Amino acid sequence: MANITFPFPFPVILPVLPEIIVAVMAMVILIWDLFLPAERKQWTAYAAIATCLVAIDATLRTTGADAQMAFYGQFVLDPFAGFTKLLIIGATIYGIVLSLDYMKSEKNIGEYYSLMLFSMLGMMLMVSATNFIIMYLGLELMALCLYVLVGYQRDVLRSSEAALKYFILGSLASCMLLYGISFLYGLSGSLDFAAVGQALGSLGDNSSMAVSLGLVFIIAGMAFKVSLAPFHMWTPDAYEGAPTPITAFMGVAPKVAGFAILARVVIDALPSLQADYVTIFSWLAVLSMAVGNIAAIAQRNIKRMLAYSTIGHVGFILLGLIAGGPEGYSAMLVYLAVYLFMNMGAFAIIILMRREGIQGELLDDFAGMSKVRPGYALAMGLFMFSLAGIPFLGGFWAKYAVLIAAVHAGHLYLALIGILFSAVGAFYYIRVVKYIYFDEERVAFDFSENPLMQATVAVTAIVVVAIGIFPQPLMDICRAALGGIV
Amino acid sequence: MIGLSSYLTVAACLFSIGVIGLFLNRKNVITVLMCIELMLLAVNINFVAFSHFLQDLAGQIFVFFVLTVAASEVAVGLAILVVFYRNRRSINVDDINTLQG
Repeated sequence: MANITFPFPFPVILPVLPEIIVAVMAMVILIWDLFLPAERKQWTAYAAIATCLVAIDATLRTTGADAQMAFYGQFVLDPFAGFTKLLIIGATIYGIVLSLDYMKSEKNIGEYYSLMLFSMLGMMLMVSATNFIIMYLGLELMALCLYVLVGYQRDVLRSSEAALKYFILGSLASCMLLYGISFLYGLSGSLDFAAVGQALGSLGDNSSMAVSLGLVFIIAGMAFKVSLAPFHMWTPDAYEGAPTPITAFMGVAPKVAGFAILARVVIDALPSLQADYVTIFSWLAVLSMAVGNIAAIAQRNIKRMLAYSTIGHVGFILLGLIAGGPEGYSAMLVYLAVYLFMNMGAFAIIILMRREGIQGELLDDFAGMSKVRPGYALAMGLFMFSLAGIPFLGGFWAKYAVLIAAVHAGHLYLALIGILFSAVGAFYYIRVVKYIYFDEERVAFDFSENPLMQATVAVTAIVVVAIGIFPQPLMDICRAALGGIV
Repeated sequence: MIGLSSYLTVAACLFSIGVIGLFLNRKNVITVLMCIELMLLAVNINFVAFSHFLQDLAGQIFVFFVLTVAASEVAVGLAILVVFYRNRRSINVDDINTLQG
């Protein structure tokens, strides 16, 4: 009997299993939606949540302590990718749960959830990329779906305007990123991160101009995507105009993916340029913390305020990347994980306050909430204190981790500036608490009574407090998640 | 023989025209889409030139992906623009001004 041999090695697909599951299910949901009667369209949401849970399970099962390569070394599943994927999938589950009530009145809801899954798929590919092509494709899959999701409320002017602004500036960012990549490719002759890193290390002085061009354009493109100042102009508009669950989703998931891939690029592809990128990152971090925390004070709309607060937080997260080394990168992961919970919690409360036609979005709407709904008021207060970094809530340990990492890496001034701006930032977070507890009620609100949403808020609040009291497990997990990359 | 630097100069010029057009243009959002396309094509010239002079195919493969993504990007962009036009009855850049602060 003749042996049959494949003419080529059969591709390894096991590390890509979570992505394959998500891709197939997103397409199935897209088609399935066509055959569902209008009153059962919500089923697509439950199918999307189930897909996310299966993807979490698949990620946990396939991620090992070692890096596993797939697609001829263009895709890697290591603990770092696995952990960031879990954060991304978690953010997506939050986004879907928050959408259940909010999007009930929208038509064509099926493609909404499958767009969220596709966006998640793009981010999952991105954090596993070891090659600029995969990174770019993942980034674009994420971004294109997000543009559509931001403009999902088709008859609302501000939603479509936000989508248009986000689209224009996002495309500009992609172009800049690609332009930077093209220079790195020209200098190194490869698109693999590791090969680029080796080639850049052995370059002479002649090419320093092209290296700086490549570096600056790549950093500018990525800074747009994670909304670092001075590339943050789209953030407040996109946050305000987007449907609130999408605001919550894009406030966390793309940031996790963006920082993860940025970390991978600077570790693998740009190690020889550390002095240069640390200088650029330091300026970006200081500017982000300044712009985010100062401009937030002037905002009356809480979605806009949280947009500026995001800009401030990404400045802090960047401190972890600047510090570098196991301590810095794990601090970055701790911050991203804690930020996921506190930001999602705050947005969940905003969504619960939506009543017929009017959305609880202005700061004034929160006035006197403690008398009507003490439970929600307590949760919102916790999230705000945590975002401000008040001790013994999750947000404090996140800030503590990045600041200590920055000090240990010798960036004492950056840490001091960070402390200064987090004190400035505490003002506007605590102002929300003042509205909730010490002001008289001005408008009567119907609160959504969806039990799933209430459970989500309760669980999130407990997690934020639990991380605040027992930070060590999370820090250990984040340290373990670095296995293989540093 | 045309050298690598000539190609890079052309690409840099096209890219700059794209960026400048994006920021100076005060009239029409369609022009913005054209500027974005111009920048992507400038990047493609860069990749093809490097790929040719390095004798390496990866750059040209990347160009195919960029072209494909650019097509879907324009599709999404035009769809968003149509939705915006239905709400605002205008595609002037100056009329994209509801969200401010």
